[in-house]
Amino acid sequence: MNSTPLRTEIGGITLENPLMLASGILDENGYTMARILREGAAAVVTKSIGLDERTGYMPPVVFPGDGYLLNAIGLTNPGIDSFGDEIRVAKEAGKPVIGSIFGKDAEEFLRVALKMESYGVAGIELNLSCPHVKGFGSEIGSDPALVEEIVGELKRKLKVPVFAKLSPNVTDIVAIAKAASASDGLVLINTVRGIAIDIFARKPVLTNGYGGLSGRAIKPIGVRLVHEVKKETGHAIIGVGGIYTASDVMEYIMAGADAVQLGTVLMDRGKSVFREIAAELGTLLEKLGEGSIRNLVGVAVS
Amino acid sequence: MMLNSTVLSTSRLSPNVKKLDFEWNVDVEPGQFIMIWSPGIGEIPMSVSHLGNPKSITVKSYGIVSSRIMELAPGEMIYFRGPFGNSFDIRKGKKLLIGGGSGMASLHPLIGPGVHGLVAGRTSSDLLFSEEFEKDKVTLATDDGSVGIRGTAVDALRTIDVDQFDSVYVCGPELMMYGVMKELGKYSAFVQFSLERNMKCGIGVCDSCSIDGFQLCTQGPVFEMETVKNMREFGKERLNISGRRIKYNL
Repeated sequence: MNSTPLRTEIGGITLENPLMLASGILDENGYTMARILREGAAAVVTKSIGLDERTGYMPPVVFPGDGYLLNAIGLTNPGIDSFGDEIRVAKEAGKPVIGSIFGKDAEEFLRVALKMESYGVAGIELNLSCPHVKGFGSEIGSDPALVEEIVGELKRKLKVPVFAKLSPNVTDIVAIAKAASASDGLVLINTVRGIAIDIFARKPVLTNGYGGLSGRAIKPIGVRLVHEVKKETGHAIIGVGGIYTASDVMEYIMAGADAVQLGTVLMDRGKSVFREIAAELGTLLEKLGEGSIRNLVGVAVS
Repeated sequence: MMLNSTVLSTSRLSPNVKKLDFEWNVDVEPGQFIMIWSPGIGEIPMSVSHLGNPKSITVKSYGIVSSRIMELAPGEMIYFRGPFGNSFDIRKGKKLLIGGGSGMASLHPLIGPGVHGLVAGRTSSDLLFSEEFEKDKVTLATDDGSVGIRGTAVDALRTIDVDQFDSVYVCGPELMMYGVMKELGKYSAFVQFSLERNMKCGIGVCDSCSIDGFQLCTQGPVFEMETVKNMREFGKERLNISGRRIKYNL
């Protein structure tokens, strides 16, 4: 019997279990990230950091609904030069910290990435998919040529693995995935663009109007895109989108994910969700008669 | 979910503080807060200062959203989410409330017969609800000496024999609470602090209000002395609205 049935690996980073913290949830403050790692997450991905400090949008920046969460935070971040302390504190937990970054072009991505790497992160995740800020995120991530240039440039200049987080808000995600094929892994998916209107105020609730939809509602979309990209590219994948239970994790893994990220579930189950789902995963693995979660990666992809 | 109600009445408590009353028939515990939304403008956290039904918020004008909320007139709609956060653990025995500035809004539901108060602020008009304590059971302090002791909450606290109290509840600006924590550390009373940080989401996901890995909106805002004492960030540093780490100048 395998003594580490939940252990997995992505881009050369060994994870004690497949559960990582998704970018954008409880990952602005190093103390919070350290606590989440101590609560059982195998790794954390930071909030997306850019070149300059940004305050983001005025609240409401979130709108929780039935089975989903809409958010438009607005890439709030302190600027890469001020983020070293948070990485240092997060790393006190002794587990991998992956730095998420955004930029407007390959040159800016590279500047931020090099600085992030110098803080001692285990890997870099490229936010090519933020759905609600003009000039960043999915505006870049929907252009295959630009994606290829950014990923290529970073892979040439960085020592740590590079992961590309892609948007579901595109017509052909396989084309974007192929453009990011130089990456050490694809992160699928970011939030789905959406809106909520308050019918009494007769206005959108989010200050930005449009936001990104996450939570249980998007899980079938995420699993489908992981499955489709795995089938078409065979690339290493981190699955994310609406994971609430161990069985959700297993769906992503069978669709082709080597690891997964949890985000919105923390709103409902708190930080202890990592430890709980890891335990549930162990039980589920036994029920499925498998000694290692690695044996199940992509089994549902024909 | 965004809730709404109609403003029933308003009253001015000081030149820049107003109380708004609105119907809301749910249980809200002392110390909990709501996020008040001004459609198309923004959303801010507010303590529920008066429980029961109708409920009230006590608004101080400090920015664009609070100014707009203060302008709400009876009959107008008020939009909000909540209630959020934990609440004060109200113990039996003799109580002392220590409130700095608008921190008194969160402590207001705890005022009652026999409860002592220490109310501090920059100037006399900052002292909220001090008149609701029994006359011989309230100590006032202002930075400018316009009323009460000239000095800080900590200066005023030093004039009080804390040993007579079984429990102490504190709410105010962080540095005031940090000083109060140091002073109260000398005593054995049960102490709770209602902390304050940038509140954005209210649901434990955005990390803006976090302190030492605790989310104020879901695990707080109320923490016991033992927890607060061991915090590495409390009274020393915090993240600004962009997430940039700021060190307090102590």
